[in-house]
Amino acid sequence: MPAVALPDGIRQQWPFAPRFARVNGWRMHYIDEGSGDPVVLLHGNPTWGFLYRDFVAPLTQAGHRVIIPDMIGFGLSEKPKQEQYHSLDGHIANLTALLRGLDLHRITLVCHDWGGPTGLGFAFSNPARVRALVVMSTWGWPLPPAEFHTRIFPWRMIHAPLIGPYLLGRHNALAGRGVYLSVVDRARFAARAMAAYESVLPDPASRLLTWVWPRWIPLDDTARALHRFTWLERELRACTLPALLVWGREDDVFDPAIFAARFKHLLPQAEGPHLVTGRHFLQEDSGPEIAALIVDFLRRAS
Amino acid sequence: MTSVSVIAPPSLEGQRLAFVLAEDRLGHYAEFREFVTRAFDLDRIGLARPGFLRAPSGGIYALVFIGRSGEAFPSGVEIHAVVPALEPLDEAHVDGDLWAILQWVVTGVGRDWTVEALQATGRLFRIPPAMPEPA
Repeated sequence: MPAVALPDGIRQQWPFAPRFARVNGWRMHYIDEGSGDPVVLLHGNPTWGFLYRDFVAPLTQAGHRVIIPDMIGFGLSEKPKQEQYHSLDGHIANLTALLRGLDLHRITLVCHDWGGPTGLGFAFSNPARVRALVVMSTWGWPLPPAEFHTRIFPWRMIHAPLIGPYLLGRHNALAGRGVYLSVVDRARFAARAMAAYESVLPDPASRLLTWVWPRWIPLDDTARALHRFTWLERELRACTLPALLVWGREDDVFDPAIFAARFKHLLPQAEGPHLVTGRHFLQEDSGPEIAALIVDFLRRAS
Repeated sequence: MTSVSVIAPPSLEGQRLAFVLAEDRLGHYAEFREFVTRAFDLDRIGLARPGFLRAPSGGIYALVFIGRSGEAFPSGVEIHAVVPALEPLDEAHVDGDLWAILQWVVTGVGRDWTVEALQATGRLFRIPPAMPEPA
């Protein structure tokens, strides 16, 4: 059972049966709805499967099996309490354990934020299981990151030593205010969804990954994950999978003119980028529209 | 301006160390670890004893440094409030003290890190101690 209680208004929007799998020694929550070729939807920091609530019905009704895991450290999954328990490779291995455990093939991976490096890492290390990619507001190369990620105010400050545990730990600044600042319709988000992200991170220690993930973004050639991002970029260049790019028109973190364009350069076969209303968390503003784009893309790709 | 000061180890008679904040990766930005090492003379003292700070409110905090094999020391730090042994924490009081300690840290780190940037970040995320006093 989930270790956290969802508020009633959130539970009504997330009526799916909780499922749990043991991955790499951790307890991972996921949902598994519908039948057909699987679509695996991957969230990032600091969200969880709830981000894709508007995708489940359209995808299952179109004949797809929908699997939405919560990354270890987020949502209803187990939340390790020490920074050293997290690594990019470890999170890729967590996802690999789940998808191999379910013995999934012909997977379409939908990648957003840190669901990008983790999902692409799975795709390129398990190519026989993957059928197509959908990429949204993320990246998959070592340097340079977004200009946003190099600035002290506010990005580097919010996860700096001691400051990250204070702002994002004690005050849950990323799951609440941080997501709020990265959607277009903030009033709607505050009324309908903000509690979903705050409530699953109820205690400072449960919020650890919100400041640990930012520390894994390579800023220079000494970064811990540089080799993994170098590998991701090399694999992206060689990738021939059908792909769909969807980006928020107002995305000021992963600017579509830079990031979507770079994915298009690396994956020239990709459809798009389709621009929809949205900042970084574009699913909050354009969930049904993006789901319809994915359904249409998969119909044509089959 | 903050007036946090490093103090000599106080008497802990009748007191307890109440955990309030942990940092597992103090050297994520190396200048933070370098400042803490200088401020508490850790190259000489090492793990022999915690460091102690007095916050502007008068509250006293113990910094317990953490070492990990293969990493520069200290790799992490825990901050504990020194409080009467059987009394609960005043969380709002602690929160304000931690905010003052963070400003002291950022001032000491220097370089591109400024208290103004910290305060602006706190205001952006509406952290109570960073918000202006009501008129």
